[in-house]
Amino acid sequence: MAVQDRVAYRNVGQGIERLDGDEKVRGLAQYADDIPVPDAWYGEVVRSPVAHGRLIRLHFDPAFDFNRVCVVTPPDIPGQNIVDLMGRDMPFIADGEIQYRGEPLALVAAPTRALAREAAAHIKPEIENLPALLTLREVISRYLDGAKDLKELAAQTIVKGDIEQGFAAADRIIEGEYWAGHQEQLYIEPQGMVAIPEPDGGVFIQGSLQCPYYIAPELMITLDLPLEKIRVKQTAVGGAFGGKEEFPTLIAGYCALLALKCGKPVKIIYDRHQDILFTTKRHPVWTRQRTGVKNDGTITAMQVDFVLDGGAYTTLSPVVMYRGILHTTLGYRCPHVSVNGKVYRTNTFPNGAFRGFGAPQAIWGLESHMDEVAAALGMSPEAFRLKNALHLGDTTATGQVIAEPMGTPDVLENNLARSRFAALLRGNSHGIARDGKYHGVGLAFFGHGSGFTGDGESRLKSKAALDLEYLEDGRAGVNIRISSTEMGQGTMTIMPQIAADGLRIAIDQVRMPFPDTKYAPDSGPTVASRTAMVVGGTVFGAAEKLRKALETFAATALFGGEEVELDDNRFTGKLSGTTRGFQEVASAYLKQHGPLRVYNQFKLPETLRWNQKTFEGDSYPSYSWGCNIAEVEIDALTLELTVKKVTACFDIGRLINPVLAMGQVEGGLVQALGYAVMEKIDIKDGLYDASRMQTYVVPTVRDIPVFDIAFIEYPYGHAAPGAKGVGEMPMDGLAPAIANAVKAALGVRINDLPITPEKILKALSAHQPAGASA
Amino acid sequence: MTTMKKIQRTWKINGESRTVQFPPARRLLDVLREDLDLKGTKEGCGEGECGACTVMINGELAVSCLLAAGQVRDGAEILTVEGLEKTPGGRLIQRSYLEKGAAQCGFCIPGMLVSSYAFLRRHPVVNEESIKDAHAGNICRCTGYVKIIEAVQAAAERWPADEGKPS
Repeated sequence: MAVQDRVAYRNVGQGIERLDGDEKVRGLAQYADDIPVPDAWYGEVVRSPVAHGRLIRLHFDPAFDFNRVCVVTPPDIPGQNIVDLMGRDMPFIADGEIQYRGEPLALVAAPTRALAREAAAHIKPEIENLPALLTLREVISRYLDGAKDLKELAAQTIVKGDIEQGFAAADRIIEGEYWAGHQEQLYIEPQGMVAIPEPDGGVFIQGSLQCPYYIAPELMITLDLPLEKIRVKQTAVGGAFGGKEEFPTLIAGYCALLALKCGKPVKIIYDRHQDILFTTKRHPVWTRQRTGVKNDGTITAMQVDFVLDGGAYTTLSPVVMYRGILHTTLGYRCPHVSVNGKVYRTNTFPNGAFRGFGAPQAIWGLESHMDEVAAALGMSPEAFRLKNALHLGDTTATGQVIAEPMGTPDVLENNLARSRFAALLRGNSHGIARDGKYHGVGLAFFGHGSGFTGDGESRLKSKAALDLEYLEDGRAGVNIRISSTEMGQGTMTIMPQIAADGLRIAIDQVRMPFPDTKYAPDSGPTVASRTAMVVGGTVFGAAEKLRKALETFAATALFGGEEVELDDNRFTGKLSGTTRGFQEVASAYLKQHGPLRVYNQFKLPETLRWNQKTFEGDSYPSYSWGCNIAEVEIDALTLELTVKKVTACFDIGRLINPVLAMGQVEGGLVQALGYAVMEKIDIKDGLYDASRMQTYVVPTVRDIPVFDIAFIEYPYGHAAPGAKGVGEMPMDGLAPAIANAVKAALGVRINDLPITPEKILKALSAHQPAGASA
Repeated sequence: MTTMKKIQRTWKINGESRTVQFPPARRLLDVLREDLDLKGTKEGCGEGECGACTVMINGELAVSCLLAAGQVRDGAEILTVEGLEKTPGGRLIQRSYLEKGAAQCGFCIPGMLVSSYAFLRRHPVVNEESIKDAHAGNICRCTGYVKIIEAVQAAAERWPADEGKPS
């Protein structure tokens, strides 16, 4: 796709090397456990051994000398014992009712990790057990029975047209149910945080985190400190994937509470065992899709139930469900829609943010189901999708008009052609193995809302600042001050690319330091595939403002009043043609006036409308689009499933850095491969049944398929340079594409993620008469 | 607890002779990170599954989280990520990772790079399958491995002749 204004960008669109790469390949990047913290104590958490109960008391073993350590229990909390997330229903330290196994009952700090662990082991809780609700299966059986005894954490509907009318107009109604289990983020760097008490009574928090401006305001009511006394700085982050979105507030709170009590810096670095057992996972989900269609393939009605296992407390689950329900029908034209979203409590660790944030679960059900609908009609998977895919001018379930050109249905058409899908379909085994293998190909087509849901971006008013000042190396230059974090995806590289182009200067004059609430305004959390689009747009606007300010300064101070233009790293007098380098003018400015800070604030177009109550209107500022085609092979004897090739096409708006974008997509597809076929973690006795890398298995280099990946660029029109979301896109569609390929190979659908050989065996046994074999 | 007798070792780490004392059973990973301040080597799992703590000892790969430091004999040559830039092959593989975009969050990279380096020293002629085998013990959650394979391939094509054998 032609991008008309590419010529205006010098850095944007270039696959430059990542700017934080050198320190990473030299082993010099400092992650949470690498920053020197003199005299640090180590924190540990005493946890509940039961999933649901009432805490009667804590016994402090008299054989242990507790004077050597520091202990925090609820009475030691300076402010309120509340984690200031949605619902405000979660205490920092359980006091009374315990809602999940592993819930904190006390915090301990000691000069060594061994002593802290020893102390924690000598604090024994006395608990009255209560009945626990532990799995989504139990939730759904009660839900189908009228939701008796279920604790609803959130609910939301989407209504378009009249669903009964839509079903009345249909020739066929096809129904399907789809399940997906937990998924662990498994960033390679475990959670880690340090809190240092400040002389003014405040606290300085550093660590592995995605959202500095979640932690600082969320800890205010707990620590009873004003915002300016809670400073949060990000260290290098060894992967996050949503797992370091809301969870770090907890670990930061533990460290801060201990540090403020004992007066020492306190550090908590989870080992992998703790990290898997006691951090958030992707929400398990049950979806029921009912679709009305005419015999010619036209969709007349889509009715969806979408139910999430929220875990023990509300946390971010409502927003995950909102994004989920908005994606349960996305991509298809349909006049009558009814979506019912629910989040229910279970007595398990609260589920949380994970790349895709509800959308992969929704698209898993939707795209599995679209294949079922096509099959019921006797249509091919691609013909059915091409017939119903959204085009420019169509409306979504919330009534949002696709008002600017986007990658629907282009990504679908492109991918079908590149993979030669129609020819591949002829190789499907349909349950009859050849040479000991089953073969199948499957398709998924999907959109993903870029940025916050609904009016989130309008309410947040994301801010960015650029500081013209002396850089660390002593030269005059520009520091980008935003709270958006680098966690491997490339923020620290793309933001200088964008700022340099807004300023029209060389990229080596621009730096992005680690976000620090002391210096950076709130540009929002690094989530929701919003950073390149929303914060990138805000930074570009700030850069244009700074360029104009410098042109004005240069005109009067150095060019005798003539009009001056900054381009290609130099200022040129429009009349005289005289030029002066950026460095010369910037130094002159700093000498005369000192540092200059320029702010910019993100603004959505005034025309966007959103009703948060009814979920009507423009549910996202824009959409990215994707299509995945998976070719699978299944061993007839062992039922081992191998994904041989993945052909993918994405519209993620303008590519800021094609190498980084491709890295996001390749990595995300492999994470989605894990979700689809191998990453299995269930609840046993209230605890995850996998607690280490030996038992929670993720893809290695031996598991990856051949990739054929293409981009189609439809830039976002309302914020230069026009990126849309990329990070979450590759997580969305591969699981249903693989399930559809498995159906094509075996003639049997697996409707429960992950698709393991055990589930395939079960499905085949149920499908075939006893004694029959492949 | 009684004070246990410490073990003393002198190793050649990244080309430098270093002497260190540590209690018995202390992991090599902790001796490297905490006693020798070589924080480039990372702990990802603590049980030999992820490979982030991979180092080279006398030319052989080892996961330093599973190795008691006392098992590494006096005079052993240890290479960690910090030592790579001291060799032409190490510099080349670092450069190749950067050029291909093979590092994202970077946390698995110290171990991954040491695996690449050890592999290329022995097999300067490579193919995709042998590269995959050589890196199957290093888990990366960011890249999907594609660019890591490309980086190793690209480095193999320019591998310096004098990096062939263990020193």
